[in-house]
Amino acid sequence: MSTDNGNSKIESNSVGCTPLITGNPTFSSITGRISEIVELEVKKTPKAWFIAFGITSTMTMAMSAMIGWLLWEGTGIWGLQNPAGWGWAIVNFVFWVGIGHAGTLISAILFLFRQKWRTSINRFAEAMTIFAVICAGMFPGIHVGRAWVAYWMFPLPNQMSMWPNFRSPLLWDVFAVSTYFTVSCLFWYVGLIPDLATLRDRATNKIRKIVYGIFALGWRGGNRQWQHYEKAYLILAGIATPLVLSVHTVVSFDFAVGVVPGWHTTIFPPYFVAGAIFSGFAMVMTLAVIARKIYSLEDFITLNHLECMNKIMLVTGTMVGYAYACEFFIAWYGGNVYEQSIFINRAKGPYSWAYWTMVTCNVIVPQLFWFRKFRRNIPWMFVASILINIGMWFERFVITVTSLSQDFLPSSWDYYVPTVFDIGIFIGSFGLFLTLFLLFLRFLPMIAIAEVKGVIPQADPHHYEHHDDEKH
Amino acid sequence: MKLDKQTFKLDRATGIGYFAIFAGIIGVAVCIFGFKKFHAQFFYAYLTSYIFWVTIGLGGLFFTLLHHLVDATWSVVLRRMTESVMAALPIMLVFFIPVCLGMDELYHWSHAEAVAHDELLQHKSAWLNPKLFSIRTLIYFVIWFIFGHFLYKISIKQDSEGDPEQKLKEKMRQISGPGMLLFALSITFAAFDWLMSLDPHWYSTIFGVYIFAGSLLSILSFITLLVVFLHKNNILNEEISIEHFHDLGKLIFAFTVFWTYIAFSQYFLIWYGNIPEETVWYLHRWDGNWYKVSLFIVFGHFVIPFLVLLSRVPKRNITMMTVMSIWMLVIHWVDLYWIILPNFNHHFHFSLIESVLNIATFLAVGGLFFAYFWFTFISQSIIPINDPKLKDSIKFVNS
Repeated sequence: MSTDNGNSKIESNSVGCTPLITGNPTFSSITGRISEIVELEVKKTPKAWFIAFGITSTMTMAMSAMIGWLLWEGTGIWGLQNPAGWGWAIVNFVFWVGIGHAGTLISAILFLFRQKWRTSINRFAEAMTIFAVICAGMFPGIHVGRAWVAYWMFPLPNQMSMWPNFRSPLLWDVFAVSTYFTVSCLFWYVGLIPDLATLRDRATNKIRKIVYGIFALGWRGGNRQWQHYEKAYLILAGIATPLVLSVHTVVSFDFAVGVVPGWHTTIFPPYFVAGAIFSGFAMVMTLAVIARKIYSLEDFITLNHLECMNKIMLVTGTMVGYAYACEFFIAWYGGNVYEQSIFINRAKGPYSWAYWTMVTCNVIVPQLFWFRKFRRNIPWMFVASILINIGMWFERFVITVTSLSQDFLPSSWDYYVPTVFDIGIFIGSFGLFLTLFLLFLRFLPMIAIAEVKGVIPQADPHHYEHHDDEKH
Repeated sequence: MKLDKQTFKLDRATGIGYFAIFAGIIGVAVCIFGFKKFHAQFFYAYLTSYIFWVTIGLGGLFFTLLHHLVDATWSVVLRRMTESVMAALPIMLVFFIPVCLGMDELYHWSHAEAVAHDELLQHKSAWLNPKLFSIRTLIYFVIWFIFGHFLYKISIKQDSEGDPEQKLKEKMRQISGPGMLLFALSITFAAFDWLMSLDPHWYSTIFGVYIFAGSLLSILSFITLLVVFLHKNNILNEEISIEHFHDLGKLIFAFTVFWTYIAFSQYFLIWYGNIPEETVWYLHRWDGNWYKVSLFIVFGHFVIPFLVLLSRVPKRNITMMTVMSIWMLVIHWVDLYWIILPNFNHHFHFSLIESVLNIATFLAVGGLFFAYFWFTFISQSIIPINDPKLKDSIKFVNS
């Protein structure tokens, strides 16, 4: 290479990279550190886990009871009325689907962009994706009213020749979300296989050995297996990447294909996708800050990892702000009076409190991440991540409710108020999400052991050569 | 043309610049003729060529800002090229003068009597009026000039002074933050002003993103072609490897899909909503022979590049990358033509005069813009020789 010959002006000046994983780990220390969380005896499970599990499972049970009542009594127990026929259930659906997007972005897009820091957080972010999609899928299911025939949402041949409306984005949602769920599960599971084999090999009792053994699919860690594995992983990343965009695009179509003022605007698809990633990262942040503290994983999820996540929140939050601004400008510029009145009503009308909560949390709060000091301040990022999720929930609330509650006919305008069942089922969905998440923390390696090993310096095949060079 | 291995400056490379100036002057001469004889036709052709080149310049600015913000490694060897494109942007302000002169022909909203009979235009006149339009354009250029100028200046300083403590690099990153914010706003509103307001009744919130997507694709293709050209002259053959082509190819592929996503979002939502005030824009692009151009864009801007660039082989094949880059630039031009011309040539009838004017304006703006870029480019080292990550960028390999 010309740059290596003496008369070239370019000199070696490689940047001293900070290691992704701190604490100077070895391959076996990484395996041990992460596996031991899963392998703990029941008695030694952290108390905090049991307390948390008690709370979240209670929430889930309470939600189940409320859903039972909903099925018995009907959707009238919710605050839905004319003209707001869509309320919290749809807001929660969009909210939860959005949460899932961070996991797919981290595992697929950051993988394609060679962002190696993703290895520390991808496993539990992907797990979060799956649990979030489960919560999301629940809401349309119970919103149909007669949940026992929810399978009619699928185009199943039947003797009544009754089909769902293929021109409705609600049907596309069924396809988009179920595809997303399937691919996310596959991606997550393929990534888990080598780690499951590790747990199998380390197992000290028979049951564990058998259970992990079954799920490890006979993984032996041979060269050919790794080659296939890497190929499969790359292909799944390629398939999952368009899904990051398509799922929330279809969700945005639920609104944007209609001619309802405030809903029908062409920027909706990319705007929804940016918002989804934004809220998803906020959720990953909230959980990561807690999990790394409780399980002392500071060496794996370092401050640098958190800072990177904060940067992504800054970018996506600003994109969302850009979309708000564009919508507002075009609402005026377009000259459509209905559009204008909706936007003025959002900012000044009965829901202005919700609108300004949304703007503050989604646009203003992340701007502090321009400063390194805030990006590396754990209490602040924890608070910010919660504020962002509040803001993102309110965004969906503002979109859904403000446009519906003040429709084309002023005489039918009404102020939408949720009932205790709206609120209870939403809180309960957090219970479901966190219950699943806690089970995941307890029974599966929350950090991708094999992948993390790949980013430590020893994994570089030339690592020891360089080491020798320096000695000479 | 020869590369000085010490300074990484190009020797005896002025010929290309002079050739571009020569092409530009011929273009200008034909333009002057066209301006006098075919007033309106000339301005539409001019606007198309102008937007084509200005979007390349803006792509250069965006690429540089992004490079600094994400602290990229692989693209360090390409940085000086995008910087030089970006540094040539200010000259486009001079070339905007003809657009101002042609405002009468191009922009319906600039006619006082049209506004007087049109309630909607009266509503918009607070935004769409010749004075504010020019002031806003000036503001866009001030933004692009400030960020382009400082980023370029610091980058050159890094060449001469070195950057052992990475202070200059850090400074460029700091500038790029606000730069990116203002870039996003300015390209959006420039797209609204220059292109969307050609049909002043029509509106689309995503329009700025659409123009941005095309702009990014065009700079990626432009850089690819520039590297191919340098390689043909045995320049930087070792510094810029097939790995860099591969990455450029991946980005062109990715942003082809992104462009399609944005274009589809706009089309689909308008089609489905089916509100006359929105659909009219697409209707114009289906009138007469325009539907052929519309379909050509669907295939040329998406189907073909998507299928061709999907696999690994063509991205690592210089000939394929050359062909695809030329293709992407051509289709970017067609895309802009398709946005601009239906406002004038309502049924898309072929006319020789229009074709001559298209070529002439393309050469006039392009020749001079390219010459400005080229002389900027060869005045300094053609790679940032003291960038701390240069060596890593040269060595970088796609796994």
